[in-house]
Amino acid sequence: MHELIQTIINGLTTGFLYALIALGYTMVYGVLKLLNFAHGDVYMIGAYIGYFVIQWFGGPQHLSIPVPLLVAIMFLIAGLGCGALGVGIERFAYRPLRDAPRIAPLITALGVSFILENSVLLLFGGFTKSYNTESFISPTAGIHIDGAVIDPVQITIFVVSLLMMWGLTVIVDRTTLGKSMRAVASDREAAEMLGIKVDRVISYTFFIGSAMAGVAGVMSGLAFNQISATIGFLAGLKAFTAAVVGGIGSIPGAMIGGLFIGLCEAFASTYISTKYTDLIVFGILIVTMLVRPTGIFGRPALQKV
Amino acid sequence: MKVRLILAAAALTALVAAGCGSSSSSSSSSSGSSSAAAAGSSSGSSGKSCKATIAIEGPFTGPVAQVGLEQLHFAQLAVADDNKANGTNVNLVQDDTQLTPSLATQKTQSILSSGAVAAVGPAGSQEVEAVGPLFGRAGMAFITGSATLPALTTDGKNPTFFRVVPNDNIQGPQDANYVIKHLHPKAVLVIDDDEAYSQGLAKTMIPIFQKAGVKVDHETINGTDTGATLANAINSLVTSKLNPDETVTMLPWQAAANAQQFGLAAQQQHKKTILFGTDGTNSPSQFKIPGSYVSNFGPDISQSSNPLDKQIVAGVAKYGPYGSFGVPTYAATDVEMRAIAAVCKSGQTPSRSNVLAQIKKTNIAPSGTPMGVTIAFKSNGDLTGQPGYLFKISSSGKYQTIPNT
Repeated sequence: MHELIQTIINGLTTGFLYALIALGYTMVYGVLKLLNFAHGDVYMIGAYIGYFVIQWFGGPQHLSIPVPLLVAIMFLIAGLGCGALGVGIERFAYRPLRDAPRIAPLITALGVSFILENSVLLLFGGFTKSYNTESFISPTAGIHIDGAVIDPVQITIFVVSLLMMWGLTVIVDRTTLGKSMRAVASDREAAEMLGIKVDRVISYTFFIGSAMAGVAGVMSGLAFNQISATIGFLAGLKAFTAAVVGGIGSIPGAMIGGLFIGLCEAFASTYISTKYTDLIVFGILIVTMLVRPTGIFGRPALQKV
Repeated sequence: MKVRLILAAAALTALVAAGCGSSSSSSSSSSGSSSAAAAGSSSGSSGKSCKATIAIEGPFTGPVAQVGLEQLHFAQLAVADDNKANGTNVNLVQDDTQLTPSLATQKTQSILSSGAVAAVGPAGSQEVEAVGPLFGRAGMAFITGSATLPALTTDGKNPTFFRVVPNDNIQGPQDANYVIKHLHPKAVLVIDDDEAYSQGLAKTMIPIFQKAGVKVDHETINGTDTGATLANAINSLVTSKLNPDETVTMLPWQAAANAQQFGLAAQQQHKKTILFGTDGTNSPSQFKIPGSYVSNFGPDISQSSNPLDKQIVAGVAKYGPYGSFGVPTYAATDVEMRAIAAVCKSGQTPSRSNVLAQIKKTNIAPSGTPMGVTIAFKSNGDLTGQPGYLFKISSSGKYQTIPNT
């Protein structure tokens, strides 16, 4: 029983991170029909921002501020920083190609991904950097359930992720910006004719999606301690899989897809073998594409005649 | 205006991309040239006319870039030190292989078509397997500071291959015997990371444990995973495979940070085990779970009083923390540099064949190399002596050298 509960906790921890990254994929796809493969690297930048915030406040062993305040500042700065980065990427890399064939921004996205990854490598070196979370948040503290443990970082991940998902749902469903996003996603040209400032809506979309990835990056650093320039690639692929499985373009789909992939990974690692985790996850992607290409929550595109 | 903006962005992109790609076949600066001449070397025999190029292959980008960059920095320092000490003018070119056999093959072909007379690296055993026959056909010596798979020197496929580190047939049994003799486990968990290096070590340890009556649970993780995916796998392994009987967990891994992650996951889930890492996990800044052991093929020179060791420590200080891969790479580069100097001293122009012949004659005293043992090669390219070092991590996270027998 303990093993099952701990596996679920492990899976949800990773799943929430995938879900937050997948939301950015799905939002951008929704408004631009673009697979932003640089999104995983925005998550990586968020993790680095969090690392430097810890150093700024004295380093993990000599923090000059209380831990909850530090974590809040890390989330805030990583969110704002990555949000701004996302807006910048859209403005300079994707907007000039908006009317180009769809392959052009896709290739550009891959190029942006490599530029971000290698820029970090050049700037901060190849050494894995460690948050040393255990120095300021005890790994042995937390809630014990039948021998399984949810540590304080995992609790933070669960709570903050749920709050962000709820916040995003409120923005999309109940605000003018959300309505504009849905309008642009539905028909960009018609939205423009109705007076919606499409460029601005797209910028906001990139900002929100990238900010969530940035916060996920900080969570990743806190939970898994080690960060490097390459962590975004695989996380991005997994989140992309989550978005596709959930139904790309669907916000609830990205959330459920992320949790589903995280749990699949954890169960595969615990009960089958860690060797086959990637095989199983990407196998799910292929099966989804074959059986239900629109994903769990996706809807088939209408043919306009 | 828009066009200009696009052009400016494209130019910037090209500039960054060029910078990123510069690791391929780019010329090395003489880093560390301010440091004093290498101890025990002859000097000024050949003058600036002794010109040659050597190459270094390593993973300078990608998931194990920290290993490759460490090797690169130590090799650059060795080139600078030896050039100064021997009066040679050897240039070091670098080729990024990302620890990938296919990329290593491409880079080797490019090295072979250049004027390089010898190579340092590649880092991984799987890469040596791929490029050994190519170097062999070209008659070009290559010396690794980290590829330890025993078959590399026994299968006859790599006639120009040398290594300055012991092979896994030495290290794996040495580690397993130490665990049996000093830690007395009922059962051990051995986890390899699915790479040739890790599997090779696991393969040599397991029979020794079994012969001693120790129960072995052998697991594998995907060593190429990163971040959240890797952490999920490690957490799951700790959850499902780490049993109370398994008081020792062998981690023959290439990434020290992953071993640290495993230790933290065990702490978080209140599971007690003694971690035993191999050379890949030797990194005082990254793997510091108290009570753990780390074996290594190179010594810890950070506190050494040997003048050469002090000089190296000072020379690489600007690059920040380093692990176990730098010192052997310095030694490997030093062997090639000395061979080139000896060729020049004999009045010849360095070529692949005469440098290879000279490397075969290498005999460096322990005081003249940071490895601290005699550097001389058997006919198959292995060292005549087989060094091995063991460290225990103290409660404050410091590595303390302990006897490995």
